[in-house]
Amino acid sequence: MKKYLAKRILFALFSLVVVVMIVMLLVYSLINKNVIFQTDDVWNKKSSNDRTIYEYTQYKKYGYVEYEDYTSYIKDKYTAVYGEDYYIQKDYLDDKKAIQDETTFKENVSVQEFVKKYQGEGYKIIYLPPVRYKSGKIKPGGNGYLIATYEKSVFSRLWDYAKGFITIETKNQVEDPNLTDRYIRFEKDPYSGAFALVGSGTQHKYLIYFDSRFPFMHWNWIHINLGTSYTTYRGQEITTVINSPTGKVIASKQQYPAMIGTDEYVETAIDFHSVTYNPADLSENEAKLFTDKYTVYTMKREGLSMIETSFVIGIIATILAYVLGLPLGISMARHKDGIADKVGNMYIIFIMAVPSLAYIFIFAAIGTTLFNLPYKFANAEVKMLAYVLPTISLMLPQIGSLMKWMRRYMIDQMNSDYVKFARAEGLSEKEIYKKHISKNAMIFLVHNIPSSIIFCLTGAIITERVYSVPGVGNLLTTAINQHDNGIIVACTVFYTFLEIIAIIAGDLLLAKFDPRISLSSEGGGGR
Amino acid sequence: MSKKKKLIPSDSVVETVTENEDALFRFAKKTDAVESEKIIAPRYSYWKSVFRVFFRKKINIVMIVLMILVALIAFIMPIFWEYDPMENVTNSQTFSLSPKAAMEYFGGFSFKYLLGTGSMGNSILYGIVSSSRTSLSLAFICAAINMTIGIIIGAVWGYSKKVDAIMLVIYQIIANIPGILLVSVLVYIVGSGFWSLVFALTITGWLGIAYFFRNQVMVIRDREYSLASRCLGTPITRMVSKNILPFLTSVIVTLLASELPAYISSEVFLSYLGIGLSAQVPSLGRMIQQGQPAFLNYPWAFWPPVFVAALITIILYVLGQNLADASDPRTHML
Repeated sequence: MKKYLAKRILFALFSLVVVVMIVMLLVYSLINKNVIFQTDDVWNKKSSNDRTIYEYTQYKKYGYVEYEDYTSYIKDKYTAVYGEDYYIQKDYLDDKKAIQDETTFKENVSVQEFVKKYQGEGYKIIYLPPVRYKSGKIKPGGNGYLIATYEKSVFSRLWDYAKGFITIETKNQVEDPNLTDRYIRFEKDPYSGAFALVGSGTQHKYLIYFDSRFPFMHWNWIHINLGTSYTTYRGQEITTVINSPTGKVIASKQQYPAMIGTDEYVETAIDFHSVTYNPADLSENEAKLFTDKYTVYTMKREGLSMIETSFVIGIIATILAYVLGLPLGISMARHKDGIADKVGNMYIIFIMAVPSLAYIFIFAAIGTTLFNLPYKFANAEVKMLAYVLPTISLMLPQIGSLMKWMRRYMIDQMNSDYVKFARAEGLSEKEIYKKHISKNAMIFLVHNIPSSIIFCLTGAIITERVYSVPGVGNLLTTAINQHDNGIIVACTVFYTFLEIIAIIAGDLLLAKFDPRISLSSEGGGGR
Repeated sequence: MSKKKKLIPSDSVVETVTENEDALFRFAKKTDAVESEKIIAPRYSYWKSVFRVFFRKKINIVMIVLMILVALIAFIMPIFWEYDPMENVTNSQTFSLSPKAAMEYFGGFSFKYLLGTGSMGNSILYGIVSSSRTSLSLAFICAAINMTIGIIIGAVWGYSKKVDAIMLVIYQIIANIPGILLVSVLVYIVGSGFWSLVFALTITGWLGIAYFFRNQVMVIRDREYSLASRCLGTPITRMVSKNILPFLTSVIVTLLASELPAYISSEVFLSYLGIGLSAQVPSLGRMIQQGQPAFLNYPWAFWPPVFVAALITIILYVLGQNLADASDPRTHML
């Protein structure tokens, strides 16, 4: 069993890598990389050489190219010689000016050094001559530039991605020679009263902590980096985007680290569990409030994060679907060819055949006009009501398919030999259902539960789009409309990972509940 | 009795029955050796029985008529009613008009404005007709490609153990990817348009069909009559085409019945999200998307495409399910 599981997980990881490799290969080699500027305001405002340089910096940021700039090269060069005051030195200013003259720039020593250094490393040297008016004056944005660049291969990108995928924080995470007291240990958390894993020298101060917010236990210790968004959430990390709470900030009476132990309280919305390390020196103000250099924080917000929103809607929909769909399916089977069966069948055909879009709108129209429920998520006056229509829309198809399978299954079981035998033994119908059929039905049900839960996150595309729910289901399709390659790759990893977990969990549950199934192939396991 | 007699083809046996009815025993008339080897059975034509069972249900006749009507309208009318979504785009007075207002504005009754205009001044009726053509052709092309490839590969996959080992690995890798992710990423990469959507839906779409088919083939492969054929040295190609595939006709029809509406649903779904077809191709999903922002105030631009999408898929689904039932030989007994 363990061996089987290990094999299974290894294969799943292998397929995950294969899938991500294929998608990255396709996305990064076939999609023109300049599509990321289509909706970029900064790019629109820039012109001429400045725009080209901006493109290169963005490409570097998103991992498309390796790129070095002459200006920063000479800056480093003269900082090493003169220290902080490099920018007033004549050498520096002369070298900086040299590339503004397209006829003589090659004679400059620094330029020659720059070209030699990067050409040796395999870079391509690009010189953008200054763009001038006829009078000889340089046009706005038309400054000359000298850069060295080369295009990264898809495989090196893949390697970079894999390297940065998981970070486990250690006490040597922060590079700061002045920080000598480095540790990771359990301490009493002054904000929740419980114990927390606290680090010094790590990026986050609180690595594992508890608070009153769902899911109550939080991790900062292990960080998964799915990638960076290109266009939709410019430059933000996708894990952060889907995990950070939204909505209004909520202030409460709290203490800054320096106030702990005193009875001084301040009204603030700072989430003190979120503090991260700031390498800069403490300002005067900060020194009064904080006891260490963990001074970068986020705010507490009232709303749920994207992933929580989707999950809440999805879980409620799944539970309701099981609660409603199973009894309906069973009663359809018990009264086969009765009115309930016929109506139920019509519903099943409707759900199976009609595009999901059509029935979602039909139910949305009924909900908004007859019951006056809020249609768009953001416009809802009572926040709870906003969840009603998306939940119902997500639940409808699940109920349909559960009814269909349950009815089928029950009819098959009722005609099977063991049920006939039980009936011949004189068991009542109730006993037959309770002791025989329902146990067998459970097997089929548990197999599907993990997939249904995962489906809440990945399958809510239409519902989230129709009702403008700020959730993760919409992430992929918005990213595609916005040409956001970062999110597309992240979604591939995220969705495929969830799907793999669902499939494996389903099989494990199946093996647990069905004694006839043995997952290990050797040893003649099972009967 | 008379009915049974009719079904018996050979004259010789009928004669022996009528000749000497009182006798308990009788000698069969001497027939030639070849004739006496024949087994007499009622004449049975598979496809005739399929259609007999199929047309026994009245709803199927209604559905077939509807289907033919929809197909005729969808494929013939666009020749006369040329749909141009951008024709009134410069005249904002034509945007989102009710049928009555549209006819008043464009001067008197016309079929073109029977359902009013959309948010760009486009004719809703013409749009729906052209879009139905897109949906139907996409569904049939994708189904044809996927079913052909799926069945051929599935048959070989179920039959050959070597192929099975390789294909299972491929299947297990691809099956991990959620379908919507695969299709949308592929469309994103290839670019939107009718044929790229066909490409995205077919490049891995056959795999599920082939896997399903493999399981069916494996069940039949190990039946006794197949074993017997193998012992007699029947080549694999003949085994697959004569022993196994005919057995699976009802399975194929069942698959087709669920695939066809599914392709229409995916087209509507994807073009609603702005992923599938390009803006020039008329599509139901795009019309629904354009009508959606004001679907409570301007219902005529929104509900007709929703209704048509639902109608086409329901017709296809019900027809397919009933045909699948009829093609199962077990339903052929009277």
